Amino acid sequence: MKRTRALGSRGMFLAVLLAMAAGVAGRGLLAQGRGGAGPALRVNPLWPQPLPNHWVFGSVTGVAVDAQNHIWVTHRGADSLEGNEKGMMATPTTSSVCCVAAPFVLEFDAAGKIVSSFGGPGQGYQWPQSPGSLTVDAKGNVWVTAAGLEPPSAPGAARGRANTANVDPDAPAPAARGRGAAPGGGDAPARGAAPAPAGRGRGAAAPAATTDAHVLKFAKDGRFLLQIGTPGKMDGPDSQTTLNRPAAVAVDSAANEVYVADSGNHRIVVFDSETGAYKRHWGGSGDRPTAAGGGAYDPHAAPSRQFRDVTCVDIAKDGMVYVCDRSSDRIQVFQKNGTFVKEGILAKDTTGVTVTGQFGVVSSHGSVWDLAFSSDAQQRYLYVADGHNKVVRIVQRDTLAQVGSFGDGGRQPGRFLAVGSIATDSRGNVYTGEQHHGKRVQKWMPAAAPAGGTR
Amino acid sequence: MKRNLYVGSTLLALIVGFGAAARILQQTAEAQGKGAVMAPRFEVDPMWPKPLPNGWYQGQTIGVGIDAQDHVWIIHRSDSLDASESAADEGTGTCCRRTPPILEFDQAGNLLRHWGGSDGPGYQWPASNHGLQIDAKGNVWIGGNGAGNDGHLLKFTQDGKFIMQVGIKRAGLGPDSLSNDRFYLVAKVSLDNKNNEAYVADGYGNRRVVVIDMDSGKFKRFWGAYGNKPDDAAGAALGRYAPGQGAQQQFRGPTHCAEPSNDGLIYVCDRTNDRLQVFTPQGKFVKEIFVMPDSLGDGSTWDVAFSKDAAQKYMYLADGRNQKVHIYDRQSLTELTSFGEGGHYPGQFYSMHSIATDSKGNLYTTETYQGRRVQKFVYKGLAPVTKKDQGTVWPTTGSR
Repeated sequence: MKRTRALGSRGMFLAVLLAMAAGVAGRGLLAQGRGGAGPALRVNPLWPQPLPNHWVFGSVTGVAVDAQNHIWVTHRGADSLEGNEKGMMATPTTSSVCCVAAPFVLEFDAAGKIVSSFGGPGQGYQWPQSPGSLTVDAKGNVWVTAAGLEPPSAPGAARGRANTANVDPDAPAPAARGRGAAPGGGDAPARGAAPAPAGRGRGAAAPAATTDAHVLKFAKDGRFLLQIGTPGKMDGPDSQTTLNRPAAVAVDSAANEVYVADSGNHRIVVFDSETGAYKRHWGGSGDRPTAAGGGAYDPHAAPSRQFRDVTCVDIAKDGMVYVCDRSSDRIQVFQKNGTFVKEGILAKDTTGVTVTGQFGVVSSHGSVWDLAFSSDAQQRYLYVADGHNKVVRIVQRDTLAQVGSFGDGGRQPGRFLAVGSIATDSRGNVYTGEQHHGKRVQKWMPAAAPAGGTR
Repeated sequence: MKRNLYVGSTLLALIVGFGAAARILQQTAEAQGKGAVMAPRFEVDPMWPKPLPNGWYQGQTIGVGIDAQDHVWIIHRSDSLDASESAADEGTGTCCRRTPPILEFDQAGNLLRHWGGSDGPGYQWPASNHGLQIDAKGNVWIGGNGAGNDGHLLKFTQDGKFIMQVGIKRAGLGPDSLSNDRFYLVAKVSLDNKNNEAYVADGYGNRRVVVIDMDSGKFKRFWGAYGNKPDDAAGAALGRYAPGQGAQQQFRGPTHCAEPSNDGLIYVCDRTNDRLQVFTPQGKFVKEIFVMPDSLGDGSTWDVAFSKDAAQKYMYLADGRNQKVHIYDRQSLTELTSFGEGGHYPGQFYSMHSIATDSKGNLYTTETYQGRRVQKFVYKGLAPVTKKDQGTVWPTTGSR
């Protein structure tokens, strides 16, 4: 009895110590999502480590994990930052300490420390107007797509409305104001604002024509290796040499093939990943793609056979090819040769909006923006980033049925705005990237992981 | 058995507590021995508050006040959500919904009461609600900066029952910094409970501090920069701020805070002039400081709060242009250190707008524009200053 008691209080002692050690990370449990089956995850609110040099993320469009479990991130940079986020880049500067766009491509280790960075214009290629997704292939090469600026009116737009409630005095006067923003009703003083910073360019209210139509391949040190497609040249969905706002790639390293989610052409197109030579392509449901694609999405209509905006492509270990048809609220599954296998529809009532904000038009449509496979050998689950509903859905891969979810809308840790990219490492961690004003990468850990198990 | 456990854990708590206290005491002694400057130290609590219920999504958060129970009250702009944020209200998705503008949280971060957003009998809700403070009786005071409309402030009970409106809301309203019965675009109402006087930062349109009676709302006195008579025409003629322009005789605005200290000084934020002016309660100019005077755009002096010791030894200044909380020795107005950094992660800021301290010395900050958060910074006692700019202050204990 005595001994038991002693053990009991020692157990208590340990429990208290453990609870103390768990500290902050333990409370991450609060941010766990809406529950359900599938892996249970909790956010790590303190990942990555604060960026150096007063760097900030712009709209995060891509996140990937390499073979070393390093995390790679790409974002839109200064073009997607508001005046008060890039005061150090303005002429004259509006702040000496806040802030500067981080380099376009960043590599983090598992602890969240920056390992390397690169990106921007260089010899032999054209940096995207707006980068899309990012992929690291088995050889360690880094692929970035030129996904293009949001078109002024996206397909399937249920309604669009200007909303400039977030009036920034550094910005040029917006043409129209949304409700809730009586003139001057922002924090902007009626006068006395600084001049608009120079270099506010393409993302402003009247965006230039999109020229993004290519995919770029770099060595992991940023050395340029290959460009597929030609900026400004878009020859339609049957082209064997051109692309149209490609959103993502997947690389089949064994076959030396790169699969491109060619969003503006409503197709998947496959090239040789070393030479860029054309191999094959297909549209929604395995059909020949059309220039019109699926048209406007209507939740009450029969599913379109054609793709709308194709925003992801991922190849499972068993060779199945998974495609996000974002504003159609669906995943389509194919064989590598383009033979249609099946589709799964998620949150089919989801439509979307096009919002005109400070840095141009942002499109928020559909429930299937990006996906990643769970870390187990069978890849039993898909994590589906649903940017419009601000949640990650956990979907059983064999049935394509949702079994759980995590996250919800908001700006606190563990919440989302426009979660549009997702990746998994080999240890069961999940990384999410947020577009628009989200501008974050968040790390989600297995809920059962020991405290401090982030490294 | 139970008692043994209890004793054991109490002992543990004592040991741990004693260890920490001893360590701090030792550090303090060493630092003071070396003549190091001491300043309050803070760490962000990344998981405070708890997620909002009902699929609610917080908008531009532009006021924070603490009540006698250390409950944290914020005010935000419900209708600042864009159509993708309010997708459930718009019928395009399941997340999220607009949220009542006034929200009360307990110390654990649970949402308690929530109200506001529309007119009621005898009062007009501001076109753009702005600023929130709680008086000693627990009443809630708010202003409004909806241009062309808001010439008033409002006083409610904590349950949202209307008590008083001072001034008017009327379409087509404009500046009148000499008015004795209305304001124009009030940023914040701060309270001198001892003397039953409210200090109105008036504001985004007018260029003055107005003192009113807390019960009757009657205007008692007002003044402009340096205690001058406010002059709207001269103020408007100031144009844009440029560093090194010298002493501007009017508030450039917004006149964004007017905070009385225990020892009878009024701290006034003249935001886009990057300056803080200090006055007597009667409006006699005492002194001023400039805060990062290279700051353009929004300006650097957004709000102030004082440390919770009786002497209010320290002043915390919210700088939403540079995303820093500047910590000052209040008497000398010497900056001791600062923390904060631009960004959307815990302990970082996007246009930090308002700041308040609770009875334990913890700090709360809110963010407007695309920040849309309230954050809590836990007071960790005094510590030797090792860096003038501490950057992002994450917890030093626990796990990352």
